[in-house]
Amino acid sequence: MKSVFALATITYKEGIRNRSLFGIALLALFLFGFNITVAGFFMRDVGKVTVDMNLSALSFAGLLLVFFVGVNLMAKDIDRKTIHLVLSKPISRAQYIWGKYLGIQFFISVSLLLLFVFSCLTVGLLLNLYPNYFIGFSWTNFFIACFFVLVKFSVLAAIVVFFSSITSSSLITLIFSISSYVVGITIEEVVFYLRSEFSAQEKIISESLQTFIDIVSYMIPNFAVFDFTLEAAHGLVITSQRIFLSFGYGAIYISILLMLASLIFSRREFN
Amino acid sequence: MSEIQILNVSKTYNPGLFKKKIRAVNDLSFEIRRGEVFGLIGPNGAGKSTTIRMLLGLIRPDSGSILFRGKPLGTATIQREIGYLPENPYLYDHLTLLELLSFCGQTSGMVPEQIKVRGFELMVKLKLLEAQKRPLRTFSKGMLQRAGICFALLHDPSIVVLDEPMSGLDPIGRKMVFDLILELKEQGKTIFFCSHILNDVERLCDRIALTNKGELIKQFEGGDFLQDIDKTVFLHTSSLDEFQQQSVQSLGGSVRLEGEGHLLAISADNYHPVNSYLEKSNIKILGCRSEWMSLENLFIQTVKEQDQ
Repeated sequence: MKSVFALATITYKEGIRNRSLFGIALLALFLFGFNITVAGFFMRDVGKVTVDMNLSALSFAGLLLVFFVGVNLMAKDIDRKTIHLVLSKPISRAQYIWGKYLGIQFFISVSLLLLFVFSCLTVGLLLNLYPNYFIGFSWTNFFIACFFVLVKFSVLAAIVVFFSSITSSSLITLIFSISSYVVGITIEEVVFYLRSEFSAQEKIISESLQTFIDIVSYMIPNFAVFDFTLEAAHGLVITSQRIFLSFGYGAIYISILLMLASLIFSRREFN
Repeated sequence: MSEIQILNVSKTYNPGLFKKKIRAVNDLSFEIRRGEVFGLIGPNGAGKSTTIRMLLGLIRPDSGSILFRGKPLGTATIQREIGYLPENPYLYDHLTLLELLSFCGQTSGMVPEQIKVRGFELMVKLKLLEAQKRPLRTFSKGMLQRAGICFALLHDPSIVVLDEPMSGLDPIGRKMVFDLILELKEQGKTIFFCSHILNDVERLCDRIALTNKGELIKQFEGGDFLQDIDKTVFLHTSSLDEFQQQSVQSLGGSVRLEGEGHLLAISADNYHPVNSYLEKSNIKILGCRSEWMSLENLFIQTVKEQDQ
């Protein structure tokens, strides 16, 4: 366990000192500032737009954090053969995977926490400026939505670790991870469409394609599960069951991915 | 007693579809004894790094086995006993040397106080104390190499595996590492050493294995190359016939082929009789040498022979 935390610590430090982080943070701050500037144009919808823009800014920043910094934290180890040095120490391959994941996870959490503070300040400021247009707004819903942005990127970080464990290049890891993310955020809509009556009118969708999409929908993470933007923006009720299911889904998905990654990684050879 | 035994180990790399497989190591066998400095030399692509990686468990041999203190690698905890320095170590750019050493110590089961004391000792020895709080990305190539040595030696391993430890070092850095290896040798550590700088290998190693194309060509004892140069004269002469060679040998000299002629090694005590014989027999002296046989000559000659 000590080795896992030691590895997680250096991974976190390596990530948090990366200069790209400043760029990503500045971009997110710009989006928050932009939100304050343009909020007045929306009047009646200012509450909904504010929540939507803030959650989108957090999501966008998280995405950049995972793809531009997170990918390099593990894939570069393999790319540059730093892993030879690390594995020459008494660290098992499974410990390496969990250590790296925890480090990336901690890095994303700290970075998003910082942006979350700025996001709360933005929402708080606009809430004070336009209190009449924030009807139905709930801080609890906003916090839950922000928390699930973090859960979403925790799953994405596990995907990055998984692909890093099977490929030797950070570029391939990046391509696979982006593809998984794009499929993951759209898969729910595709499945809904195929099950809807509109799809019955489409002749080109064969049964085999439908089966294939069904299988893919179970394998690819459904990122829509972690999207609470609608509830947060419109002040809708979020049931504890949905929170529990979404969180459980994320936790199970991460555990399975990391176990698979550990299994593959322990059989892998490092030339 | 054997510390490490490499027994009939072979390894083939598969570079991918439609590409020819590469046989990196072929039926390689040698042993490294406790407390010795063992040098593995060979041209690029001879399988030296592959052998080290197999020893560290980074890759698995296709056939054969590697024993650590008599036990197969899978069951032995070699990582606790080993300190490894790869060729051109790539360290974490944004970490400081102190943080890197702290990581190394924690994973090796050291307590913080031990890490501090041992780290300080190594940083002083390798002249890195002033750079201890600087990010590793600001280090020069030689400094990174020395940082890698600190990383390898922090937990005071009983076996030290050094893959090209002098690579990228200036003459002062080389001397520093050279002295450090001698110090480790005095402490009774087992050192497994790969280098292209044959002069260092010759001076440091107790035994040397020469590999080419993944195969073991020859093994030498360190003494095969070292002579008491102060008391011996090496003369390069024109070619000697069988009788002349025997005569020189009977007078106490040693004879071996050297290019077109012969090389004679004559101790100071036997110099006059041998010299008189050479003059009397009209044997031409072409020059003198500073050594009997250099590892470099032997290396080039052996590799050329094998390539033919």
